[in-house]
Amino acid sequence: MNLFSPNIAKSRKLEYSIGFSILLFIFKILFSSSDSFLFHFANEFIVFFTLYFWLLYLVDFVHTKLRSPLQIVLNVGILSALFFFFVAMSTIIFDIKTFTPHQNFITSIFSLIISFICFIAAAYIFSVFRELFFLRQKRDPKTYFNTMIVFFVFLFFSNLLIKIDQEFDYPKNAFYIVALILISINSLRVAWIAFLTKRQKIYLLILSVVLSILFGFNFSFSLDDNILTKILVDLSPGFHSVLSLMMIYGTIYFGVIFFTTLFHLPTAEAFDRKAEEVTSFRDLTKLVTQVLDFKELANTITQVTTKVCNSDSAWLVVIDKEEYDLVSINNIGYVEADELSKKILESLNDETDSLITLNPDITEVPVKNDLQKFNFSWIVIAPLKIHEKQKGFLFAARQKDFPFDDDDKKAIEAFSDYASVAMENAMLIEESIEKERLEKELDVAREVQYKILPSETPKYKNVDISAMFIPAFEVGGDYYDFFELDDDHLGVVMADVSGKGISAAFIMAEVKGVFKSLSSVIFNPNDLLVKANAILSESLDSKNFVTAIYGVLNLKSGKFNFVRCGHTPLILISEGRAERFTPMGLGLGLDNSEKFSDTLKQMEIQLKNNDILTLYTDGIPESQNAHLEDFGYERFENILIENSDLSTDEISNKVMANLTTFSKDNIQNDDITLLIMKWFSNNKIVGEN
Amino acid sequence: MADFNVNVRGVGSVSVIDVKGYLDAHTAPQLENAFNQLIDGSKYKVVVNFNDLSYISSAGLGVFMAYVETMRENKGDIKFSNMQDGVYNIFDLLGFPMLYEFYKNENEAIEKFKESISK
Repeated sequence: MNLFSPNIAKSRKLEYSIGFSILLFIFKILFSSSDSFLFHFANEFIVFFTLYFWLLYLVDFVHTKLRSPLQIVLNVGILSALFFFFVAMSTIIFDIKTFTPHQNFITSIFSLIISFICFIAAAYIFSVFRELFFLRQKRDPKTYFNTMIVFFVFLFFSNLLIKIDQEFDYPKNAFYIVALILISINSLRVAWIAFLTKRQKIYLLILSVVLSILFGFNFSFSLDDNILTKILVDLSPGFHSVLSLMMIYGTIYFGVIFFTTLFHLPTAEAFDRKAEEVTSFRDLTKLVTQVLDFKELANTITQVTTKVCNSDSAWLVVIDKEEYDLVSINNIGYVEADELSKKILESLNDETDSLITLNPDITEVPVKNDLQKFNFSWIVIAPLKIHEKQKGFLFAARQKDFPFDDDDKKAIEAFSDYASVAMENAMLIEESIEKERLEKELDVAREVQYKILPSETPKYKNVDISAMFIPAFEVGGDYYDFFELDDDHLGVVMADVSGKGISAAFIMAEVKGVFKSLSSVIFNPNDLLVKANAILSESLDSKNFVTAIYGVLNLKSGKFNFVRCGHTPLILISEGRAERFTPMGLGLGLDNSEKFSDTLKQMEIQLKNNDILTLYTDGIPESQNAHLEDFGYERFENILIENSDLSTDEISNKVMANLTTFSKDNIQNDDITLLIMKWFSNNKIVGEN
Repeated sequence: MADFNVNVRGVGSVSVIDVKGYLDAHTAPQLENAFNQLIDGSKYKVVVNFNDLSYISSAGLGVFMAYVETMRENKGDIKFSNMQDGVYNIFDLLGFPMLYEFYKNENEAIEKFKESISK
């Protein structure tokens, strides 16, 4: 059970403390000079509980101040000094021989006030001892401390025995000695010193020697015959002996602290560094997960590298497209760091797989002349790696001729690892942003494409038309359209824009504009395409082109006049046979000279009843299966022939179903567009031209 | 997707580009790089050997269109050789044979360059 944590609220503790103090005060005033044993007995108990509750209250109070142990040590020092000065001053002012606490009312009150101050001071000092004892202890050493307290209590009450019989003092002496032994043992608990910084240790060293001496004086005072001794012995002999024990505790404890700190001093710097290392690792771990900007993180990394590894400068180089790119510098100029790292990395000839330590004087890296300001004696280079691939280097450099030790190197390596992780994070985020952007872009492109394509196919009595369009994930830029030129003529276009994505979608929009406007003013397909080529050649990039078939169908006669500009052949299914028409014609945008118009050939097909005209993009014949075989023309034509009795919608569906089955194990790379027109001449007058 | 590879060789004053595998929108930049390097080195006489090319997309075709003008302006050219039928058909449909010279083998193409010099 812990003596110091009974379930009493904090405010209650203060109430109890003050309550008992008042009780003690009244008791002392009323029975100021009684000498009966009962009086002594009651007196000691009231004093004990007053002390106990003050202690309870102050333990809590001190516990909240633990973050700065040096501050509470200083407070103890001030209290201890107070004791010292009071005793010293009172010896000068008062006549010790004649002074007794009960001379008159004033001396009584004075004694009591002094006593209460001593109570609170003693309780405070004891709380501090207790807290320091438990501070930074890994195992729970409660037993030792509690045993000591028990003996303090024994000692406190053993004074009553002396009141019974003057000779009966050996229990008190025995308890005194046991308590002393326990104090000595407990004074060795000073682990918390190790966690102080070097500066704090120096401060503590001075403080502890002063405190040890002060407590020593106070102890000797407590044995002397002086006013304080008189007051306290009169108040409670138990309290007096406990207080004197505490003074011994203080002397020993701060003595131990003095020597321990003294021995800790030489290692203080190393310890500080380790502590800094741990803190920076913790901070970096946090940063790596929170900061998305690699450059910001790189700055932190070069900063901590300089600080933790005792280097004068640090900088970070990233390999970007086989070039060295200086990302962050600390304590070195940009130009110098850039030049230095390039020179060093070149001289290393790619042997940079693991940590490298360089002494430029020995390795003769030519860094002298123009870089005199940074005449480094030692340089450590740690590679940054992502998936076994070198992505950069972390440099740490020292000007003093004092090589990096293993700890330094390990820390630098660890920092470069952090940099690698951060870099990978940054890369992944960038990738995912890029991917998202690309997907958005493709969404836009697909939307554009759908808006450009006609929403429905025109309906005529003697021609049945079906159009089907299936976009690829990366929009391909397929386009088809119908133009009702007049009551008897229907213009049909199918085009395929080179390239993919949003740029293809934009070109497609332009192509639609060109065909829509030209078809209304130029009737002849050949003339129309020559004009279209002239327009598109000017606006298209030199690497872009458009393939197209444009034809005009005479709705009365069934004559189809068309030109093909680099597009896939037109397929005609007639009487169970397939025929491919590939009249000469360059793709649009390929050539802007006479060559285009010179080579372009127009063709006329006379459709017969149930003839099927098929326009399509290369997405159909170039569809591939898992074995990378093309769907090809023959497969395509055979499906058309086999299903030529069906309606155009049904034929379309058959083609798509076959195509899907064929290429089910491969992704669709290109848009697929299919336009089927079936001619019925029965309903119309035939023969007129 | 399948791989793509570009290799540039010098045969006298003529540069031969060997293309291998799949040439599409994703691999086209590699070929563009090869052309850029040739132009940087003022080498305008180029033969593209298609022997190991199995597929070409519209974006792949666009690469040749993008560079042919520069070559021709500098008294050079891009000539094609060793094309497989499937690949040739794609060029043919577009009308490339009307604008570019195609040869059965690389040497013929190189000879053609030499002839034009001696003329």
